[in-house]
Amino acid sequence: MKTIDSDIVIIGSGITAALMAASLVENTKRSVTVIEAGRPTTPLTERTKARARFMAYGESPWKQDHLDDQNAYGTTWGFSPSMNVGGLAMHWGGVSPRYSPEDFRLTSLYGVGDDWPFSYEELDPFYQEAEERMGVAGEQGPVALDPRGKPYPLPPLPVNFNLAQLQAFATQAGVATWSTPSAKLSVARDGRSQCQRCDTCYPVCPSGAKYTPDFTWDALVRDGKVTLVTETLVRRLVADPKTGAIVRATGNRTDATGEEVTINATTFVLAAGFAWSPHLLLLSRDAAHPDGLANRSGLVGKYLAGHRNVNAYLNLPLELYPGINVQHSLVSKQFMRVPRSGRYLRHDLRLWESSVGREPRLRDDAGKPLFGDALLHDWRTRAKGATARIRAYYDVIPDRESTLTLHRAKVNRFGDPMPTMSFRDAPESAALKPWQEEQIAALFRKMAKAGNGTVLKIENSVNDLGQEHPTGGCRMGDDPIQSVVDRWGRAHDHENLWVAGAPTQPSASCCNGTLTFVANGLRTASAIARA
Amino acid sequence: MDDTPPPAGRRTFLKLASALAISTASGCRFETRVPAASGATGSDRRSDFDRTLLDAVGTAVLPAELGDVGVAAAVGAFVAWADGYDPVAEEMHGYGYSDIRYLPADPAPAWRAQLAALDLLARRALRAPFVQLSIDQRRVLIATVVTGAEGDRLPAPIDATHVALALLSHWASSPDAWDLALNAKVQTGTCRVLGDASTTPVPITGRRA
Repeated sequence: MKTIDSDIVIIGSGITAALMAASLVENTKRSVTVIEAGRPTTPLTERTKARARFMAYGESPWKQDHLDDQNAYGTTWGFSPSMNVGGLAMHWGGVSPRYSPEDFRLTSLYGVGDDWPFSYEELDPFYQEAEERMGVAGEQGPVALDPRGKPYPLPPLPVNFNLAQLQAFATQAGVATWSTPSAKLSVARDGRSQCQRCDTCYPVCPSGAKYTPDFTWDALVRDGKVTLVTETLVRRLVADPKTGAIVRATGNRTDATGEEVTINATTFVLAAGFAWSPHLLLLSRDAAHPDGLANRSGLVGKYLAGHRNVNAYLNLPLELYPGINVQHSLVSKQFMRVPRSGRYLRHDLRLWESSVGREPRLRDDAGKPLFGDALLHDWRTRAKGATARIRAYYDVIPDRESTLTLHRAKVNRFGDPMPTMSFRDAPESAALKPWQEEQIAALFRKMAKAGNGTVLKIENSVNDLGQEHPTGGCRMGDDPIQSVVDRWGRAHDHENLWVAGAPTQPSASCCNGTLTFVANGLRTASAIARA
Repeated sequence: MDDTPPPAGRRTFLKLASALAISTASGCRFETRVPAASGATGSDRRSDFDRTLLDAVGTAVLPAELGDVGVAAAVGAFVAWADGYDPVAEEMHGYGYSDIRYLPADPAPAWRAQLAALDLLARRALRAPFVQLSIDQRRVLIATVVTGAEGDRLPAPIDATHVALALLSHWASSPDAWDLALNAKVQTGTCRVLGDASTTPVPITGRRA
């Protein structure tokens, strides 16, 4: 059996874990060990080739980035089985908006959902820290829409030729937009390249312009600041039945040996994301904690949250050139910062160039196959003009029974039940859904009309698949009966156990969540350093 | 996750990711064309197409505007792509589905057989080898064998039900083909200088893809 000793052990090596580790090693003298169930990731030097094969064939650039017997079931939209060094963020898109101040005061301002135990203003310095550590390129929108304490660390990615025209269209339609903040370098920094517009941010950036957690791990390991243990699955946290303190973590190697592993530490940080964090707490049930650790409230695995979207394509009387920078967009927070009204609706808004409807086609209008110059002539006709893609995430108030539980049949090689998820809207949210989606669709139609354009199509998220940018499962709060962890991420029931990032969030706002997950994690790291 | 891809099946995903992938699904990010010839090799397989027959198909389905050199280059790029294909390699798994998926079996044997069948059909129907037919005659024959292809969208090359469509869609997915259609030097899907993004793309009138 292998034994590991450390002051602080972090379980999981994803983006929240990486940036927390970077913070901890700067702010404590305690040793830090990171336990990752998966393997090392595809190194940067191999990503150009990996990208080429993804582009040519659809191959994964992240070979064997998962464990075949370690997966989640149920409504898994928003979940990825990625389990390797860097986690899911090895193939994130790098889009890094902040939540808006309203997200932290939903009950107070709108009478729905729950307030967070702290404010946007309290999170602002940790947002800034996250942006600086990752290298976020952005421009502040109008101050009333986009409040922040300090400027972005890097200038924004440019509003390119296509986006400039779309920005003028949006302005004409009454919507303020600006360059979407992104964890992609607008100028070279720390040995990483400036963005090269490769347009494969998702799933792989070959230049290193997009932040991925392996950059942080490589530096921390190289400098001897953390110990990174891979291919080791933590299967249980063991609590002292009298004090509740976590005394060790136990698990196994995930390589062929399956060797047993024990990890002794004084501080345990669960940074394994919204699925695997509550899953481990539920797995760790014992005689003193029959419902799992940290679960006096019965809320471990509850209140899974996320958002859905309405997506549309507009035909506009502009001349765009699809492909200038497909993955970059304009963003607006205009509809996130709304006053209380009769019915609740908040959403973000993003605007992209699109080539929908402008592609070559196999047949003409009469159904005759198109070959050769006839195909090219037809394509040229179709290629003129402009298609804009517009999308709004709207937030979903989670139900208490939006849950992650242990699957009754699916087990891994060690016999541990796997997680199964069932996302559920709170009743008020479910009742609002049709109206909310129609309101957003009406906005899109209004925008198209303002731009003298037409709507090609409008689509809603498919029901019952799960939700996007998911959070929850270990929600934070001041009342131990209503929450799993306190406002700093410390478990109410276990003084030396901390849960970090996405699982602690009471809600998931209506925009991409990764930056907020990291900011929350950095806030937790600051508390661990002080503890 | 930015802009989550849809809960796509493999065919849909490949359409998004490996060809002239234009997303139509909500939340999907893939709205890009991809390089026709990646230059990458997955294995040392050889597709072993009858190159004379494949060239003859190329002259029928690809634009004459490419010129002889352009058509030959497009056919060569397709062959290189087929040679580099790695059967049942792991597909990209993103957001929206949690199962691990794998690419299909090698399409080359079926495509080789289809080339041979085109020649047989030409000999039976028109009493001449396929390569000796006029361009229009070749197109008529090809049109008869691709009638089963669904919809009006070109399939991703790997999903093409006929080698003629695979070749055509492979070319159409290239940055140069898109530039030809747009009459502008955009070079979509190609790593490029960031600062150039703000300028109007340069017209390419007179150039050949």
